[in-house]
Amino acid sequence: CDEDYLEVDSRDDIEFEDSGEVVTPEEMVTGVYGRFTGFSYAFSYLGVSEIISDNSDKGSSPGDTGGDKNLLDDLTHTTSSSSIRAMWEEWYKSIGRATIAIDYTQNYENYDANLKSRLIGEAKFLRALHYFWLVRSFGDVPIQEVDLVERAPESEVYAYIINDLQDAISALPVKSSYAPKDVGRATKGSAQGLLAKVYLYQENWQAAYDAANEVIASNQYDLHPNYAEIWRASTENGMESLFEIQGRGETINHGIQQYSQTQGARGSTGWGWGFNTPSENLLNAFDAAGDDVRRDATIIFRGETLWDGRVVGETENPMYNEKAYSSLNVGDGDGDKNIRVLRYAEILLIQAEAATHINQDAATPLNLVRERVGLAPIAAPTVQQIWNERRLELAMEHDRWFDLNRTGQAAAAMAADGKTFVNGKHELFPIPNDQLIQTPEMVQNPGW
Amino acid sequence: QESTVTGTVTNAEDNMPVPGVNVLIKGTTRGTSTDFDGKYSITAKSDEILEFSYVGFKKQSFTVGSQTVVNVTLQNDIESLSEIVVIGYGTQKRSEVTGAISSIKSEELLKQPALNATQSIQGKLSGVNIVNSDAPGAVPKVVIRGVGTASAGEQVLYIVDGIQVTGITNINPADIETMDVLKDASSTAIYGMDAANGVVIITTKKGKKGQTKIELSSFYGAKTILNQVRMADANQYVTYFNENQTAIGGDNSYQLAPASQQPANTDWYDALIDVGFSNSNNVALSGAGDMSSYYFSFNNYNEDGILKDQDLSRNTLRLNNTFNFFDNKLKITSSISGAFTKSTPKPFGAFNEAYRQAPIVPVFYPDGHFGTNDVNRTTGVQGFLAGLGETIGGLNSVGNPVANVFFSNNKNKATDLQGIIEAELKITDFLKFTSRVGMTKAYGRERVFNDIRGRYVVAGDPVSDTDQQFQNLQDANPNNTQYANNSLRYTMTENFSYNWDNFLSFDKTFNEKHTIGALAGITKGKRDDFYFAETTAYGVPSQEQYWSIEFANGNYDNVSTQRFSTYTTQLSYFGRLQYNYDGKYLAQVNIRRDGVSTFKDNAEYFGNFPSFSLGWVLTEENFLKDVNGLDFLKLRGGWGEVGNSRVPFNQFRFNTNSGSNNVNYVFGVNQDFVLGASLGAQVFPISWEVTEETNIGLEFRMLDSRLAGSVDLYDRRTNDAILQVRPVLNSPNDANFFDSGADITNKGVEVELNWRDDINDNLSYNIGVVYSYNKNNVENVKPAYDGQIGGSLNNGQITKRLQDGQPLYAWWMYEAEGVWQNQAEIDNNPRVGSPKPGHLRYKDQNDDGVIDDRDKKFFGSYLPTYNLGLTLGLNYKNIDFSVDAFGAGGNKIYNGLKGTRIDGGENITADVFNERWTGEGSTNVNPGANRDAIASSYYLEDGDYLRINNMTLGYTLKNVIPDISRIRLYLTVQNPFLFTNYSGFTPELVGNEDGAPEERAGIELSAYPNTKTFLFGVNIEL
Repeated sequence: CDEDYLEVDSRDDIEFEDSGEVVTPEEMVTGVYGRFTGFSYAFSYLGVSEIISDNSDKGSSPGDTGGDKNLLDDLTHTTSSSSIRAMWEEWYKSIGRATIAIDYTQNYENYDANLKSRLIGEAKFLRALHYFWLVRSFGDVPIQEVDLVERAPESEVYAYIINDLQDAISALPVKSSYAPKDVGRATKGSAQGLLAKVYLYQENWQAAYDAANEVIASNQYDLHPNYAEIWRASTENGMESLFEIQGRGETINHGIQQYSQTQGARGSTGWGWGFNTPSENLLNAFDAAGDDVRRDATIIFRGETLWDGRVVGETENPMYNEKAYSSLNVGDGDGDKNIRVLRYAEILLIQAEAATHINQDAATPLNLVRERVGLAPIAAPTVQQIWNERRLELAMEHDRWFDLNRTGQAAAAMAADGKTFVNGKHELFPIPNDQLIQTPEMVQNPGW
Repeated sequence: QESTVTGTVTNAEDNMPVPGVNVLIKGTTRGTSTDFDGKYSITAKSDEILEFSYVGFKKQSFTVGSQTVVNVTLQNDIESLSEIVVIGYGTQKRSEVTGAISSIKSEELLKQPALNATQSIQGKLSGVNIVNSDAPGAVPKVVIRGVGTASAGEQVLYIVDGIQVTGITNINPADIETMDVLKDASSTAIYGMDAANGVVIITTKKGKKGQTKIELSSFYGAKTILNQVRMADANQYVTYFNENQTAIGGDNSYQLAPASQQPANTDWYDALIDVGFSNSNNVALSGAGDMSSYYFSFNNYNEDGILKDQDLSRNTLRLNNTFNFFDNKLKITSSISGAFTKSTPKPFGAFNEAYRQAPIVPVFYPDGHFGTNDVNRTTGVQGFLAGLGETIGGLNSVGNPVANVFFSNNKNKATDLQGIIEAELKITDFLKFTSRVGMTKAYGRERVFNDIRGRYVVAGDPVSDTDQQFQNLQDANPNNTQYANNSLRYTMTENFSYNWDNFLSFDKTFNEKHTIGALAGITKGKRDDFYFAETTAYGVPSQEQYWSIEFANGNYDNVSTQRFSTYTTQLSYFGRLQYNYDGKYLAQVNIRRDGVSTFKDNAEYFGNFPSFSLGWVLTEENFLKDVNGLDFLKLRGGWGEVGNSRVPFNQFRFNTNSGSNNVNYVFGVNQDFVLGASLGAQVFPISWEVTEETNIGLEFRMLDSRLAGSVDLYDRRTNDAILQVRPVLNSPNDANFFDSGADITNKGVEVELNWRDDINDNLSYNIGVVYSYNKNNVENVKPAYDGQIGGSLNNGQITKRLQDGQPLYAWWMYEAEGVWQNQAEIDNNPRVGSPKPGHLRYKDQNDDGVIDDRDKKFFGSYLPTYNLGLTLGLNYKNIDFSVDAFGAGGNKIYNGLKGTRIDGGENITADVFNERWTGEGSTNVNPGANRDAIASSYYLEDGDYLRINNMTLGYTLKNVIPDISRIRLYLTVQNPFLFTNYSGFTPELVGNEDGAPEERAGIELSAYPNTKTFLFGVNIEL
């Protein structure tokens, strides 16, 4: 018998080499950005960045736990909490895509050298961003390109991040020099701004101050005059924007999957699942500061009429996150709104905070932020005043929990919010149990 | 006193004379045999005993006494020593078999009428676990000696008249002569790479010599649900609902009005379930002459499901012929069959909805609209009407099951054609050549009609979803298929497979004692040549005769798709050597060399599968030959390796996707959609799985063959079983991949015992016991490959995990240890989240004060560790009576219907209501009306059950009506009793995805309930 008989070619799935497809470095880098549109950012990320903090509550119906959002809200999360696991995996997978894209781009032949350089810069920025999110959440973490099990000390991780960001800064163009079709990509300013924030976490005040100054001095950015408009689709990638996660709500739908829906008002007249609702604690903080502008831009109140004319009826929860409201795509799976990751106001606040430590002028940058929302200037701001400003300015923008831990305010803030913060444990999230099942030699964080 | 005794020997089954029966005077060498008409004549003394014996029949003895005429009716000896067993490319005498093979004959199969013969053998064969669903047309899950694979194919290999097929639903059970199940690797290795899950060999009936036989058989049956779970009534529901709402508290909780003010007290199962009728009519005509034999049959089988309008009907035709040529040197055999099946399936999800929908919801509102889950939250009365300032909400998110069944409009048709032609040439009297070709072609057609407008208007929101509103939406969205009047989908499939076997068989006895058998052959085949085409169209006229794509509304685009599968070709060489010394020492060696196209990228894509087995018939030895009461004793053992070629593959590729996928992104001021890419799964070279098995068995017959039985011990190990692996969480790769990564072992014991005795000529009885025990374990898991989870409850909770040292996908969850009685108890103990009093409390297994996944515990397997079959038969004159029972257990099963509540407005069972926690001290076992949705051992129950699966009473009339040789009338009850402590509908839970271990096997979420069936039947032989 003829053994050629056994030569059967597959006709189910097209082998890559048979597909006629050419995958360019640009597509591989787009694939790194693409992970931002995963569901993790619409749900798990809310849990680990805001619901866990004093800014917001789980929301939704009492019986709807959102997986582990109730646990995060109560600060009773465990090594098995699915949101923590999801973000751990999400950030590492994004890092993996970035590294693969960098290698792929470097080894790709017959390709424009400038484009190559820019793409590698973008991927390095993205890799740095994900490592930054990892290190501030988990402390020492494995550097994926080095070893999957051995947890590198925070300082090494930060050094790695800074190295990537410096490469990115030298490779990336400034925001205004991108072609209109490329708006939304990482820019020199994105990398500089992130670097400033990274230095802030390292308490390298001078470097933080300088990096912030680079952004300010670039003349690429300014504060958007109307605070309430910052999270509207109309101001996307606007003057205040250093980096945003891009999304749109039209077919082919490609929003940040369900980000607006999970946080939309819940109830018969609502349009969403009602998670991540602003807390009483946050409301009180706005009121105590007399900060009506930012309060009303941040919180949707039951019964109010929104800026686009929508009347919020009888909803299950008294407050919702207005910064997640997608006017054109209310109730849709995918919203049309970008998530603001880094914006100019924060750069000013970073500079102000750094300035207080190195005897520079903190008042000027701080008061720019305050003036915009009609608050009186502070002549000689204290660090605490700047921290308070950060809370109100950046409320519901996924910064609060990490800021509380960075500044050592977490235990007190949690106590004030009626939760028990265990010192030496709750500063960091636990390494997910599923990771430890796969790599039992990896060391767990203290207290978990 | 010597006299001449004469008589006729007939066959009890067909009343035909039996020629060649040995008639011997006991203790002497004097004897004779019957002539062609079954007649004999012998001279004997009055105190002598006549013994009548014939191969395949039970030996019978009579004292001569004063009789001069002794007519004898021979009874078939079902487990006769000379019984022939089909062993793959040949046959063997039962007494000479050295492997573990269980067999079942036609008459046993037919006792349990069913669409698919595997349904009838449940509990009849040791080591064969059959998990059945009573849904019409459902294919039972057959597991032989445990599950030995995690991600590869689990189907047993079916061989019909020598040809490999993928299933036997197309075969009329009445056409089956025998089913032989090859269980151990020494028997199955002759089928090499396809045999790892065991082999079921089916031989269909052939005509027998004698006069033409016409058999007519019919039965009529009615079935209902066997194990009805009683649900809470309106009163109980309202109480339970309100208790839950009180516990939730807060702004949005509300209370229902008392049941007396509610519009309905619906028993959804009553509303949903009909009595299902079934009937079957079978005609078979057979016979044989010197040169040829024939067997024709026609069967019409109809079965209703217990859901309204759910039904299935099948017509089968068969023509089996043999022709002898050239002095019987050449024999041509053909088996041709066709099966034509038509069915109207209904959604099983309706059972789930019937369980969950509130009893205060009416099936229909007074205006004919289907009842909905609406409730007026202000008045607490079910319904959709609200006065000024009142609000309407949903009690739950459950649909109306009656509407769901009503609007499901599917029709399926299947045609299966099978043809086998075999030529057997006797080259010499000890050498023959066989060539056999078999082909199977299957066509499937499915029609799905969805009355979108009807659903909207009659089952949607009674207030807003009016016909006018639908029209408005349709006018506003003329091209949106969501607002088309209806959708119509046709799916067509075709599947083809064939096999071509050529082999030489040698069989010769030397010096009267040394018998050598040998086999050498080659086979090639093709399978899974699958074609699929589907078209969906919208807006056809509502009358059924126009349900054709060509009449679709032009406003909508038709959607079509079509694809081919990659077929598999196979080229294999096989050989067997058998040696038999005087029926005393037996030996057998098999070898198969398989090449399968699936592995063409694998440099060594040929696999070799060897096996051997030995047997020793101890009763042929002098020291045991004359032991009183011991008729036969054989020790046998074997070893072999078999493969599983149905393994999944990795494919190297870049992930690209033109839709909403996380490789794509948007850039630019206009937020243009930009396509991206990422790297796909890691690629590991994958080969077939190899299962190695050792088997030791003992067979015996004693006390004049009244007691017969066998015991088998086996140890089987699948080396390098393929797992679907999730990449390490912090690794760069994000797609799951396949790699061989664990060993799976199955060790067990099988026992078969049969006792049959004739008390006198009129009364005989038999008792049979079949028992098997199997222990499954996963071992040697590669590092980082452990921990795959499974058993999703579809609410974010999972229940199974793969772990070294545990059974395959063992249960894994929190251990419930009571109920929180008060807040102080909660505050002072480790807990999950923020429970309320009345919630279940879970055990902190590692005592670290925190309850997380590390406190989840393994609770064994969903797979039964033991199977038990019992048979009792009684014959008194013309009356026959039998009871069969089947049991399984040693496993745990998960009552997911009870455990997964989403929004607290779902109904509960009456038991859940009655046992619930109602306040401190009320119970420390069952949670209150307000409970969490966490998977825990509370919902895990013993899977043990014993089911009486058949009780039959029959009456046979012989020769009472001219020209009708035999009429048997019978009454059968299938599944009259189920004994189990399980609180759900059925402990037999196949699960989804063909019972894949990591899926919902062993979890009751929407299972089809067991049914009991009453049958009346008649068999007529002419």
